[in-house]
Amino acid sequence: MLEQLLIFTRGGLILWTCKELGNALKGSPIDTLIRFCLLEERSGSNSYNYDAPGAAYTLKWTFNNELGLVFVAVYQRILRLLYVDEMLSMVKREFCEIYDPKRVDYNDFDETFRQLRKEAEARTEELKKSKQVGRPANDSKKQGHVKKGGADGGNKKKSEATGGSDDDDNRAGYNKLENGHSNGHHVASDGSRKLAVGNGKENDSVNVGAFDVSKLQKLKNKGGKKNDTVVSDSKGSKLDTKKKATKKNRVWDDSPSQSKLDFTDPVETGSENIDVVAANQGESMMDKEEVVSSDSEDEEDEVGKGSAPDSKKKGWFSSMFQSIAGKANIEKSDLEPALRALKDRLMTKNVAEEIAEKLCESVAASLEGKKLASFTRISSTVQAAMEDALVRILTPKRSIDILRDVHAAKEQRKPYVVVFVGVNGVGKSTNLAKVAYWLLQHNVSVMMAACDTFRSGAVEQLRTHARRLQIPIFEKGYEKDPAMVAKEAIQEATRNGSDVVLVDTAGRMQDNEPLMRALSKLVNLNNPDLVLFVGEALVGNDAVDQLSKFNQVRFYAICISWSCAFHGLHLWSTGDVVGCGQSYTDLKKLNVKTIVKTLLK
Amino acid sequence: AVRLLRRPKSNTIVLSGLSGSGKTILFYQLRDGSSHQGTVTSMEPNEGTFILHSEAGKERKVKPVHIVDVPGHPRLLPKLDEFLPEAAGIVFVVDALEFLPNLRGVSEYLYDILTKASVVKKKVPVLICCNKTEKVTAHTKDFICKQLEKEIDKLRTSRSAVSDADVANDHTLGTPGKTFSFSQCTNKVSVGEASGLTSKIADVEQFIRDNVKP
Repeated sequence: MLEQLLIFTRGGLILWTCKELGNALKGSPIDTLIRFCLLEERSGSNSYNYDAPGAAYTLKWTFNNELGLVFVAVYQRILRLLYVDEMLSMVKREFCEIYDPKRVDYNDFDETFRQLRKEAEARTEELKKSKQVGRPANDSKKQGHVKKGGADGGNKKKSEATGGSDDDDNRAGYNKLENGHSNGHHVASDGSRKLAVGNGKENDSVNVGAFDVSKLQKLKNKGGKKNDTVVSDSKGSKLDTKKKATKKNRVWDDSPSQSKLDFTDPVETGSENIDVVAANQGESMMDKEEVVSSDSEDEEDEVGKGSAPDSKKKGWFSSMFQSIAGKANIEKSDLEPALRALKDRLMTKNVAEEIAEKLCESVAASLEGKKLASFTRISSTVQAAMEDALVRILTPKRSIDILRDVHAAKEQRKPYVVVFVGVNGVGKSTNLAKVAYWLLQHNVSVMMAACDTFRSGAVEQLRTHARRLQIPIFEKGYEKDPAMVAKEAIQEATRNGSDVVLVDTAGRMQDNEPLMRALSKLVNLNNPDLVLFVGEALVGNDAVDQLSKFNQVRFYAICISWSCAFHGLHLWSTGDVVGCGQSYTDLKKLNVKTIVKTLLK
Repeated sequence: AVRLLRRPKSNTIVLSGLSGSGKTILFYQLRDGSSHQGTVTSMEPNEGTFILHSEAGKERKVKPVHIVDVPGHPRLLPKLDEFLPEAAGIVFVVDALEFLPNLRGVSEYLYDILTKASVVKKKVPVLICCNKTEKVTAHTKDFICKQLEKEIDKLRTSRSAVSDADVANDHTLGTPGKTFSFSQCTNKVSVGEASGLTSKIADVEQFIRDNVKP
């Protein structure tokens, strides 16, 4: 059962909530959804999971960009309701007909909603019943029963799916749902065969992925011959979705779940795939069993092409006319070429592919259905929206005022601890020295801690810097435990009254587990106030991976080091310091507008 | 002739403040006299030009006011810059209930507004509106005022320190050397109280009337 369904404007006013679903939501899922998903340019993704003490919700949403409305459905995650996407689009359709910008209460919508809900529930009931027929087939892999009931169910689902207004969204929705569900079910079906619902749902989700009845029949026949019916069927549709989602999932083979420790937002890269992680687990388990049914995959392609003529063919004259008159509604097919061009441009500027993809999706989600202003072409509208989105992402969520924090720590008589982390050779020690210089200029007493006890020359390097800057340095030589050295350094700083301790660590590759563990030990033991990740501007797509792995240790801000020219900048930063160059004075603040301009040039 | 060339005095009032302080509720109170079914975090500004709800029935001619509610979410900060230049007055809404936990954020936001070039040059009056006063544990406006002054004093030193690297704030505030107080600002800064949910918005309306002359 749905917990709640809300309709509100983008400006924040709630227009309608379902009064029948009276349960108050625990925590604040809607606000969290807005803050961490929709405003983070992740509105292209499919669902959002929210956990509060005592509740685990999943939220799904849809927009009407023309009227500036948002429709959100909240339900308990364990329920895995399948009719939500469909219902959202139906609710959207009905509501937009009665919407009036001047009106603020829509009590008459209660009735409409009640009916819609009944319809949706009735449909799921039917599906469940038909699944029950095919259920015995799934229980034991040895039996090769024909899933006739399943096929009919699949039929019905297909017609409904095509009936919905947002075809692509729905299909993508079901695919993703299926990913998440199948993962759970693989575990469940092995464990307890008693879960009729569980098995029924697996069937359900499997069939949803299949768009063509003939393909189902084909699978049916195959099922009759082979022994593992279930595996091959779900495999077939799994491959479809895998194919569809391949672009996004390729890199994230072992991405562990995102802990809630990270407070920064470059996690638009790391946790951008919170919802896709589930899909991943399902996939990798699948990868182990190599049952490839390529036929079904081909079928999928053909079907896809067949249904492609939803993109209307517009003549040149009519499109010109519409661009002048400005009446055309933007549709996804119109957006695609412009978005693709923008995405390519971003990638040539070294933005990681997944991020560019997500951004484009989010921009598409926000533009779909909008009316074109007169005298504007689609490409300029898309460009403007993209600029908007980029500015939004790059605007830091928290302002990092280091001097303020230093003073605050000083009042508490504790030194302010900064740890520099990063892969090998990106410029940690160099940037550490630059930051020390800047702090000195602002009358802050600094102490360096040489916790890079691995690389030969690291301690000497810092010693030289310290001598030039005339600040104390705490070192214990090489081959010592960095965590202990850091701890002693902080104690020393407390003793001699230094305001700030800058801790240098050894460079390490993000996939080197023991080293990453050592780093997290250092961070957890010493609880620094600020962990700076130093990244190199030329690192390319690997940056995404670096960040996500270092992220699990926890960091708050990013310092990008540019070892040469201006045009390599990565779309992951929220921090506001940029170090360019070798000398002490080469530390600059990040200007969001400049960056956006450079990115989109 | 010069008077004709001068732009007509703006009738825009900007509602700003941290996310969750109650701006959108205030907006709808000013417009409709009710907070309707509640609000969620705003993703876009709410704009409207209307006669204040409380003045709707009056006989004397009242000029419609253009009120803009700018979302407080930090990601949407640039939106503020779109509306500030034409503001005749700024209402800075503060959550009087959750004041101390957010003290830093509130003072930084206020500092940013008070040091923007357009605000300083045009001497735009600011009303610090302490919202949610219907709650028992809400702080008083005097307490809030003092705390903000203290925090902004600290901010002055740390912010001006970064100014040579890259100017984040256009101007510095107050007289250097003396502890900061709102009376040192060139533009008029006043403090008021409100309760959005219970429709107690007299201070805000007075401020609007004072600054949007018919």
